[in-house]
This record gives sequence, C-alpha cells and structure tokens, in this order.
Amino acid sequence: MSEAIPEGSGMEVDTTAERRFRILVCIDGSDESYRGLRYAAKLGGGVDADIVLVYVRPIDQGLRSGGLQVRVARENMLKWGLELPGIKYLKKGQEILEELGVMGGPDWREESFHVNVAGDPLGDNKIQFVNEHGKMVVLKLKVAPDIATGILEQWEIGHYDLIIIGASERWRKRRVKTFWDPAVAEKIAVHAPCSVLVARELEAGHGHLICVDGSERALEAVRTDAILASRCQCPVSLLSVSLDEEGEADARKAVEDAARALADMGIEVNETLTRVGDPVDEIIEAGPDYSLVVLADSGSTGLKRFFMGSVAFKVMENAYNSVMIVR
Amino acid sequence: MSEEALRKNTVANRLRHGGESGLRRLMALRRALNLVFFWEKKFFFIAMLVGAGMLSLPLPDDLSHEGLVVLTMSVVATILFVTEPVPLPTVALMIIVAQVLLLGIDSTKVAKSLMTDSVLFIMGSLMLAVAVVKQKLDKRIAWFIVRLTGTRTARICFGISLVSGLLASFIGEHTVAAMMLPVGITLITLTSDDPKKVRNLAAVLLFSISYGCSVAGIGTPSGGARNAIMIGYWKEFFFDPTNPETQKFIVDYLKWMMYAYPMFLVQLPFVTLILLFTFRPEYRDLARAVVKLRAQIEAEGPMKGADWVSIFIFFLILVGWIGLSGDIGMGTVAILGAAAFLVAGLVRWEDVNNGVNWGVVLLYAAAISLGLQMKDSGAAAWVASNFLALLEPMGFGEGIGLWGAVSALTTAVTNMMSNGAAVAVLGPIVLNLADAAGESPLVIGFITAVSSAFAYLTVVGTPACTIVYASGYLKTTDFLVVGWKMVVMSIAIMLAAAWVYWPLLGV
Repeated sequence: MSEAIPEGSGMEVDTTAERRFRILVCIDGSDESYRGLRYAAKLGGGVDADIVLVYVRPIDQGLRSGGLQVRVARENMLKWGLELPGIKYLKKGQEILEELGVMGGPDWREESFHVNVAGDPLGDNKIQFVNEHGKMVVLKLKVAPDIATGILEQWEIGHYDLIIIGASERWRKRRVKTFWDPAVAEKIAVHAPCSVLVARELEAGHGHLICVDGSERALEAVRTDAILASRCQCPVSLLSVSLDEEGEADARKAVEDAARALADMGIEVNETLTRVGDPVDEIIEAGPDYSLVVLADSGSTGLKRFFMGSVAFKVMENAYNSVMIVR
Repeated sequence: MSEEALRKNTVANRLRHGGESGLRRLMALRRALNLVFFWEKKFFFIAMLVGAGMLSLPLPDDLSHEGLVVLTMSVVATILFVTEPVPLPTVALMIIVAQVLLLGIDSTKVAKSLMTDSVLFIMGSLMLAVAVVKQKLDKRIAWFIVRLTGTRTARICFGISLVSGLLASFIGEHTVAAMMLPVGITLITLTSDDPKKVRNLAAVLLFSISYGCSVAGIGTPSGGARNAIMIGYWKEFFFDPTNPETQKFIVDYLKWMMYAYPMFLVQLPFVTLILLFTFRPEYRDLARAVVKLRAQIEAEGPMKGADWVSIFIFFLILVGWIGLSGDIGMGTVAILGAAAFLVAGLVRWEDVNNGVNWGVVLLYAAAISLGLQMKDSGAAAWVASNFLALLEPMGFGEGIGLWGAVSALTTAVTNMMSNGAAVAVLGPIVLNLADAAGESPLVIGFITAVSSAFAYLTVVGTPACTIVYASGYLKTTDFLVVGWKMVVMSIAIMLAAAWVYWPLLGV
C-alpha cells in the first residue's frame, strides 16, 4: 500500500508558495465529528484556509473471513451498483459546509481523483472543490489497515496544521478496553506531527483556555493558538498550575509572560488564572467553562514518555470537554 | 518551573515521600506510566515471555519434555491468534519453525505433516467459493427469494435466512454471505437513503444473511473448515485399520449430515424470531423496495448457458462429496471441482488467486500439524486429564455436564479467534478428554465442531459476520446485543440433540 502513496503525493501536496492553513477533519458519521466539522468551518472560514474531510475505512482483508477475501464480496456489491461505506457521511459533511456558507456557489470547481492501493480493489478516492481564490475543500474516502494509520498517512501527504477528531467513547468507560486496543484519537494525538484537537461536546463561542507552565514550549503553543483563536474571534484565557504554595509565584510569572507575549501580537487576554494542586486535576476542573483546553505537547519522546507519561495526554484522556494539543 | 521539572517533581516526590501509603505510591506510579511505544506489538512480547516462563517451569511428573514444549507452543499460538499483534500467517510460520528448532523434528517430516486431506479440502473449497461467487447467480437467487416470500419484512427475513442457510450448508458460509450481501443492502437502500432511518431494518436483513449462513455451517462437512478438521482428527486419533470396531470413527459426508443437518433446520426459525424481536424493523412491508429489485433483476434476462453449466458442475461436486469422499477423500473432490470450474472457463485463475487468502490455508495447515503434535507428545492427554480432574468435583465430569462444559469452552475460544483454528487447537484436547471420561469421542467431537460455529458475538467470529460487517451498516455492539441470545438458543438446541437425537442414531 505504501508504494501507492508517492504516486498520489505529487498531486496532493500543496505546491503553492504561500503557506495555507490546512485543517483535517476526521468524519465517522457521529454527531461529535460533525460538531468538529462546524468548528473547523469557523476556524477555516477565511480564503487562506483549506478544509479536508477524511473518512477512513478499513482495508477489506480476508484473513478473518475464513480465507475468502472480503474483496470478492466488495466487487460483488459494486456490480450491484452499491456505494462504499462512508460516502454518505462525507456527503453530509459537504452539506453542512454548504449550509454554513463555507462553500457552494458558481465559482467552485469540482475535480475527482483516484489512487490505487494494493490489497484493496477500490483504493483511495477524493473529490476536491476549489474556488477562484484557491480555497479548497476536499472530501476524501481513504482505505487503510486501521483508522489511525489512515489518518496519519493523510497527514503525510497533505501536511496539515490541525487535525480535528472526535474523542473516544472508550476513555471514560473502560480502561481495560483501551489497554486491549488503544483508541484512535489517542494514537493520532501521540503520533501526529501537528496540533490535534480532540472534540468532546465541542461548541464554538466559549473561548480557549490556554495552559502554560513557564517553558519556552508552552509560550510557543500560546502563540500558535493565538493565531487560531483570532481566526474564530474566540476570547483567550490563561491558566497556570503550581504544585504547592511555594510555586505559586512561578505560576503567576508564567501567566504574565504569556499574557505579554499575546499582547505583543495584539491579542487581548480575557482573564488569567493560577491554581495550586495536581496539574491534571486542576486543568480538568477548570476546563468545562471554555470551548476547549489548549496544552503544549510535552515534547518528551521515546523512553521518557514511555515511563513518565505527560500532563497533556492525561488531560486529553480525562477531560470533560474538548482538548487541543499544540505542536 | 518548566513542565519537565514539574513532572519530575510530581512523580519523584510522590514516590519518595515515605508518608504516603504503598497503594497511593502505586497509584502515582500507575498514573505516571504511559506505555505508548511497543503498544501495538505488546502482546507479542507478552506471549514470548509467557512461552519462556512455561519452558523454564519444572517438568510435571506425568508430562514429557516434548509435551511441555508442544503445550507451550499452543499457549503462545493461542495468545497470538486472539490478540493478533502480528499478521496471523506469521504465527503459522512460527509454529513450523518451532517444531524443527524446539522439538528437533526433521524438517522434511514437519513439512509433510502440513498437508493433509483436510487442508486440501479447505484450499479447494476456498477456490470453489470464489468460482461460485463469480457466477453472478445472486440475482437469480434474490428473485427466487422474493417470489417465494412476498413483501412482508418478517417473511423476507425468513426467506433470506432459509435460502442462505440451505446454500451455505453445502458451499460454505463465506461464499453465500458474499453472494447475498448485495441483495440485503439493495433492499435496504431501495427502502430509504438515510442509514439512520433504516438502522433496525438493516440489522435484521444483514443478520438474517450472516446468522442464516452461520447456523448452516454446521450442517455438512463442506459447511466450514472446522468440520473437515474434526473429521481428520477422528480418523487420525481413533481409526485403526486392524480393528473393525474403530470403523465408526470414519465419518463421511452423509453420516455427518445425519447428525448435524436436523440441528441446522431446527435453528432456522429461531434465528428470524430472535432478530425480529431484538431489532424491531422500522418497516413491516418492503413492497416498494421489492418492486424495484424485481425490475433490476428482470433486466438481466433469462438464465444463460454458462449459468446452467456452473450449476451442473456444482451439482457434480456435491454428488462427489456424498458418494466418493469415502474413497478418494473430500479434499480431492474439492480441488477436482475447482479444476473443473477453471477448465470450463467459468472463472479466471487471476480471480481465484486474488480472491483466496492463501495465508488461511497456511494457518490451518500449521494449526492441524500442531494439533497432531499435541496428541503424539502426550500434551493433549495431560491437559485433558487435568481439565477433567478440575471438572469432576463440580459435577461436570460426565454426561450432559461435560458436554455443556466442552461447548462453553469452545464457544468462548471461538468468539476470540477464527473458528477453524479454535477447533484445530482444542480438538486434540477434547477428544482425549472424551477418552479419559469414558464418553464417546464422536459426541464430544461433534459438540466441539458444532459449538465452534456459535461465534455470533464478534465481527471476527465467523466468516459470514466479517463479510456482512464490511457493508458498513452494522456496529460491533450490534453483534453483542443479538449474539448472546443466539448463543443460548444454539447451545440449548445442540445439547437437546446430543441428549435425545444422537442416541437414536446409535453413537
């Protein structure tokens, strides 16, 4: 399958010199994924932003079907003129974008592409809508061994700034199950090289809560998110948590530094907060008043993450509302 | 404070502080652990550790060293089958290598043990399956069903289950599921375009296909690979050419059908009832969809010559299985049939080659070869006697208690891995169990082979479920919601058959 990608990548990678803002929205037919799409429409409403909707269906593989490849059944279905799963969900996404006024109208051109994928009779298919300003909306039906791999492969050929994905239902309910098979959103958040927004009851209009800890990385995240927040005209709040009373001064300084950085960019900070306690718990408690909680990826990789975990990931798993991990 | 320092502080502090209780420290450590890497392959390493641990255990008194090695191999293979950290055929390759390296068996001997009549049969019937699906007879069958049943939803569901089942009992469940799936989806899409409005209808129609096929898979030896594997084991374990008493362990096509076919027929009406009561379809009548479907089918025109030829060839294969399989083997008939389809030009080799997953053949070959090693090394007998010692105090040591225990064990295993592999691994153990408990190996063998069809709970359980799931209309939870009722119903009917019906046939 990987052989097929270079063939497609030539036409997929955006070659224009100007850097465009690209959002990848993962659609699975759930209401949460459409809420994520509406938020993406808000962020990507401008002419310089592209929105890509992706639905990943698992490769039709025959090992589990007792030896008869599922493709035999799939080919048979196509002979009957039946669509692939996922097409309906993508079309509904398109309708939502049209309804929100992001796309639609006479100046949009439509093109479709097909890329062969070894091991699957149908491969990847996409429909691309481009308007005269070069703004793009893409509906992509992708096939991959599993959903997380498909989404990450999509990042590699497109280089997105933000991935929006619905939270996994499994996080809250069953820990055993996640051990068995890690949730898709978790895999994406760990492996994606760009910012990831995990949508959970996502609703625009309540502002961003940016968590800082005084590190350079967190400041960088503040700057990155400020650009996003300015795209949707969302109010920005800052939060820092210290472990104990002694650390409170450091926490306050971290918040003030971040506020100054934002002021330099001409962005007004709505409120600044400091808390004392366990960072994960405090952030989760403060979260529900805002549209989303923004955290910097801790940047620890490999063995370090293996043994130490990360505040960002624990918040993502246990939060009550949407969480964005900024890279 | 940087996040790095902050985090170090948290974990290190919490672990160091003597004031906190052991449990709290453990909790802190647990929260800190975030196993991200090796995540996908974790079960491979766990399986290998389990294997190494088992091999370093002191040898039990009544088990040979070979027995322990074979037992370890089956435990490791089972873990890998269930958790799938590596592609399944890899497990087959590892079994072959381990037989040579760990058991010291000559590699030519291992290679020979891979190919048996059962494996040939599995291979041949997979090729036949592709050939049959390619014949485009599905529209004819669909037309036959709707003409037979009218337009009421309940009757269409029963018609689909009945026809799918009758066909699947002879030509294998995956074949029929692949053929009938478009019929089901067409009926759904012709009823409504919005998947949310026809969720229950979709579930009822698609499950009618998959469960109709699944319950039929027990009917004849060609219904599923597991049946052929069990027939192979009976012959291998109990048949002794010098002893005419053991002639009864040669089970041919007709004998199998006498035992199992009535069970399938009894299950069928229950399938429809369970589905209708569980999902309650939104539409009671599908007249609109049926009329449109009929128009689509009539555009095909009358049956063509090639259609008749393929039906004729299939009929000959069936006659061959019933009449000749005792002499030349079921596998031979199956590959003869596949050759006939290719000679007649009804299917291209490329289609056969692409449509069959040859890894499955490899998998079954290795699993059967491991099963035979289980018997030869005495590992199966050892596990069986220990299992029996465990069951006896609970009153499951004999009769219907033992049957129920074997059935429950098989059902549990088969829901987690491919049912053929389940029978291949469990077969030697339960047959030895029957021997030790003084039960008929035939009854226990049938119970195992039949129970392995009760994989209604998961998508991967039976081939028909996997294929139907590819339609995208079903959720994995749907299988659980309706599956447990099917399991209860099937086990009850099977135990009734074992108690009342099989003794009449003189086991």
